[in-house]
Amino acid sequence: MKDRVALVASGALLLYVIAMTALVPLGPGLIALEPVEATPLQRFEVVGLGTHFAGQTTQTRVFVGQPGAVWEWRVLEARDNSRLLVEAVWPEKLKSKSLDVFVYHPTDGTLLLENALHVDHLPVDAATAFPPLSQPIPSGDGLGLHFPFQPQIFESIRNLLWHVPMWFTMFLLAGIGFVASIRQLGSNRLLPADGQAEAASRVALFFGLLGLITGSIWARFTWGTWWVDDPQLNGALVTVLVYGGYSVLRASLEDAMLRARLASAYNLFAFVILVILLLILPRFSESLHPGKGGNPGFNAYDLDSTLRLVFYPAVVGWGLLGWVLYRLGLRMDLVTRWMESLDPPLDPGPSTTPNSPLP
Amino acid sequence: MNGRRRHGVAVLLLHTFRTELRKAHGWMGLGLFALSSVYAAYRSVGPRAEAGTWNALVWLVLMFSAFNALARPLADDVREVRQYHMHLLRPQDWIVARTLYHGILLTALACCVWVAFAVFMGTTHFEGTRFFWMLLGMVVTAWSLAGAITLLSALAARAGAGFGLTAVLGIPLVVPILLLSARFGQAVISGLGAAEKWESLLFLGTFGGGAAAMGFVLFPYLWRE
Amino acid sequence: MKLLSILFLQATPMEAVFFGSGKAWVVLAVGATILLGLVGWIWRAQIRLKELEQRMKSMDAEQTKP
Repeated sequence: MKDRVALVASGALLLYVIAMTALVPLGPGLIALEPVEATPLQRFEVVGLGTHFAGQTTQTRVFVGQPGAVWEWRVLEARDNSRLLVEAVWPEKLKSKSLDVFVYHPTDGTLLLENALHVDHLPVDAATAFPPLSQPIPSGDGLGLHFPFQPQIFESIRNLLWHVPMWFTMFLLAGIGFVASIRQLGSNRLLPADGQAEAASRVALFFGLLGLITGSIWARFTWGTWWVDDPQLNGALVTVLVYGGYSVLRASLEDAMLRARLASAYNLFAFVILVILLLILPRFSESLHPGKGGNPGFNAYDLDSTLRLVFYPAVVGWGLLGWVLYRLGLRMDLVTRWMESLDPPLDPGPSTTPNSPLP
Repeated sequence: MNGRRRHGVAVLLLHTFRTELRKAHGWMGLGLFALSSVYAAYRSVGPRAEAGTWNALVWLVLMFSAFNALARPLADDVREVRQYHMHLLRPQDWIVARTLYHGILLTALACCVWVAFAVFMGTTHFEGTRFFWMLLGMVVTAWSLAGAITLLSALAARAGAGFGLTAVLGIPLVVPILLLSARFGQAVISGLGAAEKWESLLFLGTFGGGAAAMGFVLFPYLWRE
Repeated sequence: MKLLSILFLQATPMEAVFFGSGKAWVVLAVGATILLGLVGWIWRAQIRLKELEQRMKSMDAEQTKP
């Protein structure tokens, strides 16, 4: 009964996730701040993607600077929906040579482009005090549901609902395998825990592979290559290989008790490797991959309310699917072993019934 | 009490060396494999090899030779001897002795590879004392490999599956070690500062040490019949 | 489609391409088909497993009968 409930729940959640992945549009964002050729330090064009600058130009406002030291520029006109012509206003001194751009538009809300402009023509004094704005930068938008715009990532942010939950599920199942292996290792008899460790590690391997594949696809769209030499990616590959080794080890042993003992020892080893390479080491190293080293990373996405609306159900949905597959594998193994142990043994080979799910 | 514990490791270590030295052909085979690999590298690229190629080759040769050494079943990996040891020794002593044996063996192997590379592939990429840094890196790698793989080779020997299984189980661990070593080699060739080099070596040592520690903790569970 | 433009704003040009030509719906349909197919397969597997487990239990019960 519980297995069926889990299956239905997982199916419903994942259907929702698929629907949202396909249908929710990406929100607007800024791509560049381009100087107008004829007047390089006076006039600029703010370039957006998916923006609606053409309407409500009078209520559009543009701010430039660093957080805490921001001043306003004059909006001249909107060339089209994506291009906004602005006139620069310069203070006497700057806090830093690198400036961010904030655009407020009634429909698009507040858009930010970090490190949009690098200026050399003014002196820089880090201790410069800037007067606070007369009113804070307005917020709030007139858009419906949309995914957040992130530079370099753009539309591929949808992968967040697949790649990340798949890895979470892998961790979950590796954890189940770990606990089962501890139980098995602490005993002199063959426990059901051994079968649990086997089924859990198998599904963990499967989700690890899915995580690597979705990650590789994501890398292709954001970084341009299918793989980079990165501590997080290398750690993920090694972890998946180690869990692959677990299956190989089990396959090479005949005696059930020896297999249980060696495999459970190896599983403990594998899990510790997973924790070190994927949960501990990345926090200490520079990485392209979000969430560690210098990147604003995962937390930046998580703040967005629309994403949260789909991400949490996705984690639960994929996790439940992992659990369902684990339970399925476990039950299949038990039944297969029983069939083989009968006298005469029932061969669970290629089945004779037309629709049997057993291979 | 302390004296007895050390006694166990030392005795077993000496015993392992003695029994393995008796079958000298095993070690000869290892040395020959390493030497022929270097010679093959020499014939294909030779002293004209670029720095990157040189670096890649030295670690590849070291890795394959190390695997050859680690996956080879020892004279003691027979059921009867194992049962005898089980009654005589503590499992911790056994795994420590085995790890030390592998470490010493691989260090000797690393030195041979280092000399062979100096002779065949030349040291044109290395100014001054840098080539000795390379040796240091190779030795640390050797110990790291020994630490990481000894448990797995003991596991494979117990399973009776020897060479293939050690390779399969060992490759995932060798990948990060190889990465760290290659990075270290690159650092030595490019002449980076001592700080970076020590940091790389520290990472290498930590990884191998961590894996060895885990092996040390897990091995007593494999010890039971 | 009207409901869609109320629910979601067609923000970027890519959305227009996808929604305008109906491709977004194709993506959804394909994904949903695969998912529902998988769920259906697992559902039936669970049924067969339950039957086999029943047999397992009853055969064990027979064997333990004195």
